Amino acid sequence: MSAKNGDRLGLAQSLVAYGTRKGASQIEVSISEGTESRLSVLDQNIDQLTESVFNNLNLRVLVDGRTATASSSDFTTETLERLVDNAIARARLGGQDPFAGLPEAEPIRARAEELGIYDPAVPEMTVERRIAYAKAAEAIGLKDPRIKKSKGAACNGFSWNNTLANSKGFAGSYRRSLVNCYVGFQSGEGQNLFEDYWQDSSTHLADLRPAEELGKKAVERVVRLLGGRMVESQVVPVVFDPQMGAWLLGFIGQCLGGDSIARRSSFLTDKLGTAVGNARVNIVDDGVMPGGRGTVPFDGEGVPSRRTVVFDQGVLKSYLVDTYWGRKIKHPSTGSGGGTTNFYWAAGTSSPEEIIRSVDKGLYFTRFLGLGQEPTTGDISVGAFGLWIEKGELTFPVSEITVSANVGDMLKNVEMVGNDLDMRDTVCAPTLKISGMTVGGKKA
Amino acid sequence: MERMERRTFLKLAGATAGAVVLSGLFYDQLFAGMILKPGEELFESRFGVTKEMMKKVLEAALSKGGDFAELFFEYRLSNNVVMEDDIIRESDETVALGVGIRVLNGKQTGFAYTSDLSPETMRRAALTAAAIAAAPGKVRVARIEPVQPGRQVYLMERPFADAPLGDRIALVQEAYTAAKGHDPRITKVVANLGDSLQCVTIVNSDGLMVSDVRPQARLSAFAVAEENGKRVNGGDNAGGRVGMTFYRTPGKTPKEIGVRAAEEAIVLLGAVDPAPGEWPVVLGRHQSGVMVHEAVGHPLEGDSNWQKTSIMWDQMGKMVAHPSVTIYDDATIPHFRGSLNVDDEGTPSEKVVLIENGRLVNYLHDRLSARILKMKPNGHGRRERFDNVPIPRMCNTVLAPGQASPEDVIGSVKKGFFAESYAGGMVEDTGKFTFSVNLGYLIEDGRLTQPVKNATLIGTNLQILKEVEMIGNDMDYFLGTCGKSGQGAPVTAGTPTFKIRQMTVGGRS
Repeated sequence: MSAKNGDRLGLAQSLVAYGTRKGASQIEVSISEGTESRLSVLDQNIDQLTESVFNNLNLRVLVDGRTATASSSDFTTETLERLVDNAIARARLGGQDPFAGLPEAEPIRARAEELGIYDPAVPEMTVERRIAYAKAAEAIGLKDPRIKKSKGAACNGFSWNNTLANSKGFAGSYRRSLVNCYVGFQSGEGQNLFEDYWQDSSTHLADLRPAEELGKKAVERVVRLLGGRMVESQVVPVVFDPQMGAWLLGFIGQCLGGDSIARRSSFLTDKLGTAVGNARVNIVDDGVMPGGRGTVPFDGEGVPSRRTVVFDQGVLKSYLVDTYWGRKIKHPSTGSGGGTTNFYWAAGTSSPEEIIRSVDKGLYFTRFLGLGQEPTTGDISVGAFGLWIEKGELTFPVSEITVSANVGDMLKNVEMVGNDLDMRDTVCAPTLKISGMTVGGKKA
Repeated sequence: MERMERRTFLKLAGATAGAVVLSGLFYDQLFAGMILKPGEELFESRFGVTKEMMKKVLEAALSKGGDFAELFFEYRLSNNVVMEDDIIRESDETVALGVGIRVLNGKQTGFAYTSDLSPETMRRAALTAAAIAAAPGKVRVARIEPVQPGRQVYLMERPFADAPLGDRIALVQEAYTAAKGHDPRITKVVANLGDSLQCVTIVNSDGLMVSDVRPQARLSAFAVAEENGKRVNGGDNAGGRVGMTFYRTPGKTPKEIGVRAAEEAIVLLGAVDPAPGEWPVVLGRHQSGVMVHEAVGHPLEGDSNWQKTSIMWDQMGKMVAHPSVTIYDDATIPHFRGSLNVDDEGTPSEKVVLIENGRLVNYLHDRLSARILKMKPNGHGRRERFDNVPIPRMCNTVLAPGQASPEDVIGSVKKGFFAESYAGGMVEDTGKFTFSVNLGYLIEDGRLTQPVKNATLIGTNLQILKEVEMIGNDMDYFLGTCGKSGQGAPVTAGTPTFKIRQMTVGGRS
């Protein structure tokens, strides 16, 4: 099945006109519609095959500074008009909010076609080809004697169209594609089991890494955890592999959001323009990176995407805000009405090997478990897996430990930044070495 | 959008300032007075989907040789009201409509869904799902016989679907005001009320047709406290498959919810980071259900056991816990957040004993995992929406109470850690888990002393189950949303106050 591309812009604009007629002082309608094709295998047999068209419509109305929102997967005119009517009536019962309102229309800086964010080969990828990819990735682990079980492999393709129209005159749409594949394995002895996975995703099918590479990487990540044990509690440098760096950066992104700042529920509240970190902290959100996984021409409320330097040599230069929260904290919108886009920690000059070699005693952190991130204080504390570093060498695997620190302190303690930034995802970091972190384990 | 590896997690409500919501002064007329009526009338009367059409779609789904087909029709109306900065900042209404079409072929699943309930679109989706098999059709669709759920565990006098928006706003304002006024150090409050009414009709090739109308509500407050440059937050919430009157029962009033959220933040102002290491740990009753959910519930879900990736797959019939431990999942507790009349495959809900006096006696099943493991489906096949496939899930997971008083449990510890509230927990198939403790206390000489923040508890489920030392005679439940394979499910879990001989407590020293 293919997405009926229909006249979605026409539908959005007609609902905008309907709402305006019915008394909305401002109205915005966005429509997302697309196809998803999912294929997973387990032990070389097809496990699950999904092919479908999805669609959703979101609307926001304002009546005299009072906001109401609605959404629906039911696109019948009767339902959509009722939702607009209800939203206008509900808005009237809400509170008047001086910050509420749609963004003023701004010219789009990058045309959708020039961003390289749609590849027709993704929706055209056949089921047979996806099956072959997933099986090939899984086969690498199944034939490796060090692996006990497969946790399955998948090859999924998505393509979708986002459309937005509002009463300030904005009208725009773009198409996007994404192919995402992953494979996971488990191994270990008795009840001391370990697992990990590896994945790759890209906008363009041709950029997808080979299945065998995925399989090998997943095997390597599991095998190196085998026999993991606890260490004594101590304060040491921690080397974040790029995945753990991205995990840390994802949390920082959450703490940069205008909502967190306005609610004072971020450790970065009141820190704009100050040196939060040391000079090794250089973080950017780039919504117009060509072909990027997070690239879009405009955000969820029609504000053009842009490149925003967030941390420059440790100085906090910008929050990541949409129009509403931006007005509240007197900060211009950064086109972040859809969250971070291509959000990365800029590469440094050290190779990952050099970074590990520089550590006398510490943790090479490769896998986390837990939700221990507290935006209000910036405190993190999660379960950790990885390898213990002694005198610059990776020695034995560690597990059932925790790593804890305050991200505000961590940003001041960044000692080395790797040269291995690889923009394969929407949030990416190079290898990072951060000193002064607490590793929790056995009583020292 | 993409489903990543399977690691399950649980987020507790309260600490989610940006959560979802709904309201219903202008509730959908579709639902007027429909709480008690069979839902199939909704899909026929409103969307024109007759039993004959359903049968034809099922026939198309089985036309390529699948051995079982199922249609899951859903119409859900959800509402949310948010109060922040002293105003009702936003209200939202969401409609989810669609049908999920699933075909089983042995262990394999073909799936498609659509929000367009026209016969031609449903047939096309059915043929797409059918492609999981590639043979002449062999199974015939049985005659469709509508049945009523065998139990009704969420009947109520005043469902939220019938409540005017003004009444909902009043509840939110009451919680907000109570939190804001509790202490001058409270600098920020967000309160919200989310409610929904989900109408489902499940029809399958065995001839089953059953409908269920499921209400859900939760009132939450979130408070930030600040003092001397220190900033912390607390939260609380209450709800379930309940109506308006629930919020007038003692302990569940909006005022109490607001005060508890504020009080947690105030206590946290004086909290210190824990000393990492291995300590005896007492898990308090209010929210420690998260531990049973993560450490026991997930590893006992049928899917990871037939796939043999769960640490529990070869433990059936064996002693996996201390003999004092009995754990069950009961989807039939009236008005609980995780309760069901029938699951999302139409199987009647049940109380399923999982661990009986330390011995593993059952898993939580959906139809597929029960089929593969040659066990009985037990009403735990759930899906977030019509566009998700059902998978084995928990509902209300409970560690049965013991004999000890909570004071004696705490009193038995000379030096240790007490967990009062959590931000959430996470487990992987290997049985390794972590919990993030929002508020804890040191135990010194059998008494709770210094408040502690940012502690992480880490361990493996088998080790912890065997190290349960004392189980209290009290009981409480938390409300959570469990995440698995990209699908959220409303759940509760309950425990008494209980003690683990030793756990690893992580955090900064």
